[in-house]
Formats: sequence, C-alpha cells, structure tokens
Amino acid sequence: MNNNEPQLRSTTLPTSTDSDAMLVERAVAGDQGAFELLVIKYQRRIQRLIGRMVRDVDLVEDIAQETFIRAYRALHQFRGDAQFYTWLYRIAVNTAKKFLLELKRDPTVSESAFKTDSDDDETSWAGNEPIADETPETLLAAKEIALAVNTAMAALPEDLRQALTLREIEGLSYEEISEMMSCPIGTVRSRIFRAREAISAKVKPLLEKQTSKRW
Amino acid sequence: MQETGIKREQVSALVDGQLHGDEFVHAVDWLGQEEDARLTWNAYHVVGEVLRTGQAMDSTRDAAFLARLKLGLKQEAAQTDLMIATNLVAANAISALPTDQFDINSESANDSRFRWKLLAGFASLVTVSVIGWQAVGGWDAQRGESQLAQVTVRPSTPQVMIRDPQLDALLAAHRQFGGTSALQMPAGFLRNATFEGAGR
Repeated sequence: MNNNEPQLRSTTLPTSTDSDAMLVERAVAGDQGAFELLVIKYQRRIQRLIGRMVRDVDLVEDIAQETFIRAYRALHQFRGDAQFYTWLYRIAVNTAKKFLLELKRDPTVSESAFKTDSDDDETSWAGNEPIADETPETLLAAKEIALAVNTAMAALPEDLRQALTLREIEGLSYEEISEMMSCPIGTVRSRIFRAREAISAKVKPLLEKQTSKRW
Repeated sequence: MQETGIKREQVSALVDGQLHGDEFVHAVDWLGQEEDARLTWNAYHVVGEVLRTGQAMDSTRDAAFLARLKLGLKQEAAQTDLMIATNLVAANAISALPTDQFDINSESANDSRFRWKLLAGFASLVTVSVIGWQAVGGWDAQRGESQLAQVTVRPSTPQVMIRDPQLDALLAAHRQFGGTSALQMPAGFLRNATFEGAGR
C-alpha cells in the first residue's frame, strides 16, 4: 500500500469536520480551551508539514507557533466551507514561506536550515528523513510509541480491532461501520472506545515519560 | 469511575466527530477542566496517527509547544483587551459629555480664536507676497534708480583733475622738498600736500 494514502484519507474524514467546526465556533465565542483541543489534534501534522520545508527543528516549532497564533487571530474568518485542517494547512504553508523568505535575507542563517525541496504537497512527504536536533533518544521514543500501538492493536479482540481499523485506517463513519459489522451504532462507538482505551493504556505512560523528561 | 468511563467514551466519539448536542458540550467542558482528559484526547490522536502513518512523531515537545502557545495567546488576548478597553474608555468619555456640546449649529467656545488665527494667516500671506514681489520685480521707480547707479559706476567719460592754482604755485616754489622721500630716494610724484590759507 502506498505510504501516503492513509494521510490523504485522514484529511477527508467526513464527520471529524463537523466536530472541528463546532470547536472553532466555541473558540470564536471565547472558549480558548476549544482552540487548544484543535492545537493538540493538529500540532504534529502541522509540524510534520513544516518539517518538510525547514530542517531546523526549533525553526519548525517557531513557524508552527506562528501558524496557530495566526489561525487564532483569523478564526472568525473560518466559514466552515472547507475542512479546518485544509484552512490551517494554507496558513502553515504561507507562514513557512514568509519565514523562509525573511531568513534567506538574513546572512547569519546558514543554508542548512532550509530544505532544497520546496514542494509543499503533504502527500509527497517521505516521512523518514530526520530533521536537525532529532536525537537518537527522540527517534527511539517515537519508535517505542509506534511499537506499543502496533503491539496493542495486534492483541485486541477481533471485533475491537476491526472497528478501530475501519474508523482510523479506512476513515468510515460510525454509520458505515455499523452497516459493515451488522451492529448498532452505539456498539460501534463502544467498540472503538474500548479499542482506543486498550491501546492508549500502553501509550500514555510513554507519552507521560517523554513529557516529564522534557520538563 | 463509571462516569469517567462515559466521559472518555464521549471523548472518543468527539475524536471521530460523532458527538453532538449536550454530549458535545459536556465532553468539551470536561476536556477544558481535567488535565487527564486532555492526555486522553492527545493519546487517542497519537494512536490514530500511528495507525494511519505507521510511525509516531517525537512527542517530547508537545506539552512545551502547547504551554508556549498558551502564553502567546494570553499575550494576544491581553493586547486585544487593552485595545477594547481603550476604545470603551474613549467611547464612554464621549458619551458622558452633554449632548448640547455636539450641536454643530452653535458657536464653539474657541471660535474667536480661530478667527484671529485666520486673520494672522492672511496678514502673513500678504507680507510674504509683497516681499516676494519686491525681490522679483518691484516698482518701476526702484528699477530705474538701480539702473542709474550702474551708469554712474561705469567710467564712460575721461576723468578731469581739478587743479588748484595756489597749490601748483606752492609746489613749484618748493620743488626741492617734493623730489625725495624719507629714505633719500628720488620720488617721481608728490604723495601728500597740505595747505592752510585763509583765502582759499
């Protein structure tokens, strides 16, 4: 299977958009916590996107910060016609281009901070290219998480694994899954939740360990 | 415990965008209040990303990233609040004034001052105009005088020395004094001469 296909599918989830739009609505109404949920949801994807344009990990973070601040400022302009991520993606690309333009004018910044590949198409991301400041420790931590997820997924009962696979990998709605699995929507919701709980029980300690190491 | 389970299930449904109405509100409220709820929200998304992409990203910076962003947003909000407060104060100050002060037909308290300023401006304009006119052209009479002065300066006619016959006679009588200078050198001409006489 093409490595990029799941990413494409993930951006076209039909139901997640409504949820994002509702969170945006709350954020516009003054609930900053709602916006923070969107940040938690998309920060890694945005950093990954910027990481393909910029090599320096600190710079990637700066651009991602600026992206979310700009998005917050312009949140009231989000009409919900497009998906929230599509809207955020454009802001991220424009912010990154602006940063790069300014940095290229700065003679104190080395050329190694930029990537020669200026292609901003997310589907072209190889994903394996290490960026600056990525240490063996961080790479190992990321691998640990991936291994924990895959191991826990493999250990799940068949019905839970199937429900989660249809949702996360195939991108189907609860309704579609209920039809495929011939069970009520409530059951689908419950199965997906239990599958997630089982996997996150293995992942959470790793995430907390990484966070505490950082602090 | 069971309540937490229900809330977590709501969070799971929220991740999938399958939560609406009151459930959505409750779940978002809970996520806003509980740190553990946020960890769950984050973990569910990490699980989804790993399943879709087959790999995890370094999550060591996630918490720091959000903390830094919250600080930035707080500063942003503070700036916005300050702007709103300033506008409110200005609006209140204006609205607190008596409405008759906004009557455009009535004369302002400083109207006379403006009239004086207008007059002074007009006087300055006139002064500048006159000076400029004189500098460039001026009156014809003045132009004539200046031309006359130029004519008198120009040596167009041979100069005539007015001789004093008495002085000539005196110099002729005392030629021996006029021929030498103080250095006993011959002088070709007389430098100075004084003559005091009542009949002159």
